[in-house]
Amino acid sequence: MKLVVVGISHRTAPVELRERVDFNVRGVREALVALAERGSTREAVIVSTCNRAEIYAACDDAKRTRDDVARFISDFNEVPPAEVAPHVQELVDLDAARHLFRVAGGLDSLVVGEPQILGQVKEAHTAAAEAQTVGPMLNRLFHSCFAVGKRVRTETGLGSGAVSVSYAAVALARKIFGDLRGRNVVVIGAGEMGKLTALHMKTQGVHKMTIVSRTMAHAAQTAEAIGGASAAPWDELDAVLGAGDIVITATGASAAILTKAHVEAIMRPRRNRPLFIIDIALPRDVEPAAGEIEQVFLYNIDDLQATVRENLARRASEVARAETIVAEEVDKFAAWLRSRGAIPTVVALRQRFEAIRRAELERLDFKLATLPPEARMRVDEITHLIIEKLLLTPTEQLKAIGDAETVGAYTEALTRLFGLTDDAAAAAPRAPATGAAQQDAKVEPFNRNRPRSGR
Amino acid sequence: MMNITPLVIYAAAMVAYGWHFTERNPMVGRTATTLLIFAALAHTFVIGMLTMDVGHVPVAGATSAISTFVWLLALAYLYIELTTDERAMGVFILPLLVSLQAIPALRPGVEDLAPVLQGPLFGVHVSSLLFAYASFALACVIGVTYVLLFKEIKAKHLGFFYARLPSLQVLDRMNHVAIVVGWVFLTIGIIVGAIWAAQAQGGYAGDPRVQAMSLKDPKIIVALVCWLVYSFELFAARRIGWGGRRAAYLSTLGFVIVLLNFVPISYFFTQSHNF
Repeated sequence: MKLVVVGISHRTAPVELRERVDFNVRGVREALVALAERGSTREAVIVSTCNRAEIYAACDDAKRTRDDVARFISDFNEVPPAEVAPHVQELVDLDAARHLFRVAGGLDSLVVGEPQILGQVKEAHTAAAEAQTVGPMLNRLFHSCFAVGKRVRTETGLGSGAVSVSYAAVALARKIFGDLRGRNVVVIGAGEMGKLTALHMKTQGVHKMTIVSRTMAHAAQTAEAIGGASAAPWDELDAVLGAGDIVITATGASAAILTKAHVEAIMRPRRNRPLFIIDIALPRDVEPAAGEIEQVFLYNIDDLQATVRENLARRASEVARAETIVAEEVDKFAAWLRSRGAIPTVVALRQRFEAIRRAELERLDFKLATLPPEARMRVDEITHLIIEKLLLTPTEQLKAIGDAETVGAYTEALTRLFGLTDDAAAAAPRAPATGAAQQDAKVEPFNRNRPRSGR
Repeated sequence: MMNITPLVIYAAAMVAYGWHFTERNPMVGRTATTLLIFAALAHTFVIGMLTMDVGHVPVAGATSAISTFVWLLALAYLYIELTTDERAMGVFILPLLVSLQAIPALRPGVEDLAPVLQGPLFGVHVSSLLFAYASFALACVIGVTYVLLFKEIKAKHLGFFYARLPSLQVLDRMNHVAIVVGWVFLTIGIIVGAIWAAQAQGGYAGDPRVQAMSLKDPKIIVALVCWLVYSFELFAARRIGWGGRRAAYLSTLGFVIVLLNFVPISYFFTQSHNF
C-alpha cells in the first residue's frame, strides 16, 4: 500500500486561495464520505486549518490517487482545477510521513512551534475515525505523528515562550502569580484594546475583573460586553487598584495617568503584594519610573514585543533538535512499513488455510449431516481453532521482522511452499474504496495483534 | 570510608540535574531523580549501619552530624520534588549536598560514646536542629532562585531562569513554609538543648564541655543569632508584609550563619560542642 499527501498550505498557496479551499465550510465529515465514494483511496484523513488543507491517503496506485485527490480538492470546494493545481503539493510514502510529522511538531507552521496544530491534527484523525475512513496505515501514521508532537513539546524548547503580545502578557502574569484563578484584574480605559486584553485574561481563568473609565457609562458598557466584569467610577480608581493584582491600562490619555508617586501610594497599604501593570496605551499611561518600585512589575507594549521577538529567536535555534526527532520517528515508521511487506502473504496464507477447511467441511457434509446441529457447530469451531493456532506463530514471527530483505526471503519461501501466487494477488483487492478500508482492517493480522504485543 | 559511596552517587545526580536544567530533556530529568533516590537509599544504608554500630542515630560528632544533615536534606528535597513535580531546584541543592557530604567522606570522624552525650534529650536536641538546618538550606536555595527570577522579570530580560523556574508567588510561599518549619525545629532544638545542659550541669559537672556551655561559647551564640534572624524574618513577614526579595535575602543570610556554625565553628572554635 502507498501513502500519499495532497494539499495546499501557507507555503504553497496565497491566503486568497486558502480561504476558498476550506473543508470546514461544508464539513470535514461530508468531505471524507464524498472522497471515499470516488474510490481512489483506501484510507483518508483530511487536515483542514486556516493555514492548510491537506488530504492524507493510503492507496494502491499513488499516481492515480494523487491526480484524483487533487481533482477532488477543487471539485469539493468548487474552485476551478486550473486555479488550485499550481499550488498543490504532493508527497509520497516516507516523504508524506515526514511532512505530517513536521506539521504535527509545529515545524511547518506559519509561527514555528505554535501548539494548536497538534490538537487540530488530532481532531482530523478523530473525524476520520468516526467517518470510518482510517485503517491500519493511517492509524499508525497519525499515532506516530502524535508522538512526534509530544516529543517536540517536551524535549525541545520549540513550543516554549509566548509569540504574541497578549500571550506574553498572560505568561508573565503566570510567572509572577502562578495560578491566575482568583486574581483580580483591573482594566483602566474602556477602549477596544483594553476590552480585547481583558477578554484574553478571562479565557485564562480570571474571574474577578473591574473596568474603570472616566465615563462611567462607557465602563459599564465594556463590563457588560466582557461579561462577568464590574464597572467602577473614576474617583474610586485608587481603591480598585489597591485590591487589584493585574492592571491593564489602555486609555487614550495624552499624559501619564499613573505617576511613580501615585503607584507608591497605592503600594503602601498592600504590604508589598505584587502588582503587575501592563501598559498597552500609546502614548503610555504609566510613568516608566513606577517600575522601579519593589514588587511593581511594569511592562509596556514595547517590552512585551521585545520578549516576543526574543522568544521567536529562541524557537529558531530549537528547530534542529525538533528535526532530529522527526527523522528518528520517520525511521521508526519506515521500519514498520517494511515489516508490513509480509502482510499480503499472511493474508493469502490465511485465505488458503480457510479455503482448505471449507472445502473439506463441504466434502464431508453428507457424513456430518447425520450429526445433531450442536455437534456440527462444534466441528466447525474446532477446525477453525486449529487453523488459528497453526497460524499464530508464523504470523507473529513475520511481524517481528524489521528489514525488507528478510521479509522478502520469508514471503518468497511461503509463497512457494504453499503455492500462494494466485491468492497473493487476490489478497490485495483493487475493489472500490468504501468497503475496502474496513475489509482490510478485518483481515489485517498486525492490526488485530497490536494490543497483545507489549514489546 | 562508607560515606564515599553516597557521595559518588550524589555527584552523579548533580551532573544529571545540571544537564537536565540546561537541556530540559525529560529523560535526563528522570535519570537525575532516580540517581538521587539511589544516593539517598545508599546513604540511608550507611546511616543505618552506623546506627546499629553505635546504638543511636549518628549525630554526635560534627562529621557524622553533617552526614545525617545531608541525608535529611536529600530526603526533604526529594519529598518536595516528588510532590510538586518541580525539578528546577535540584541544580541548586545538589552542589550543597555534594560539598557537605565530601567532609564526612574524606575526613571520617570517630563516633564519641561519652555517657554524657547519651539519653533522649540529647538526641532530640541534635536531630531537631539538623532538621531545622535542612529546612533553612531549602529556604536559602528557594530564596536564591526567587531573586534570580525576580531580577529577570524586573530587567525585562526573560531568559534562562524564566523558562525553568516556577512562579514568584510559588517560590515565595515555599520559602515561607520552609522558614516556618525550620524556625519551629530550631526553637525546639534550642530549648531542649538548654534543658539538657541544665541537667548535665548537675550530673556531669566535671566534663569540660559541660563547663563551657554558656552564652560565651561561639556555637551557642551563633545559634541564637540564627534564631534572631529567622524570628525577625517571620515577624517582618507577618507585621510589615516583608516577603519576596527581602525574605529571600534574609533566608540566604540566615543559612550562611547556619553553615558557619556547622562547619568552621564546630571544628575549630567551640568548647562546648566539640564532639
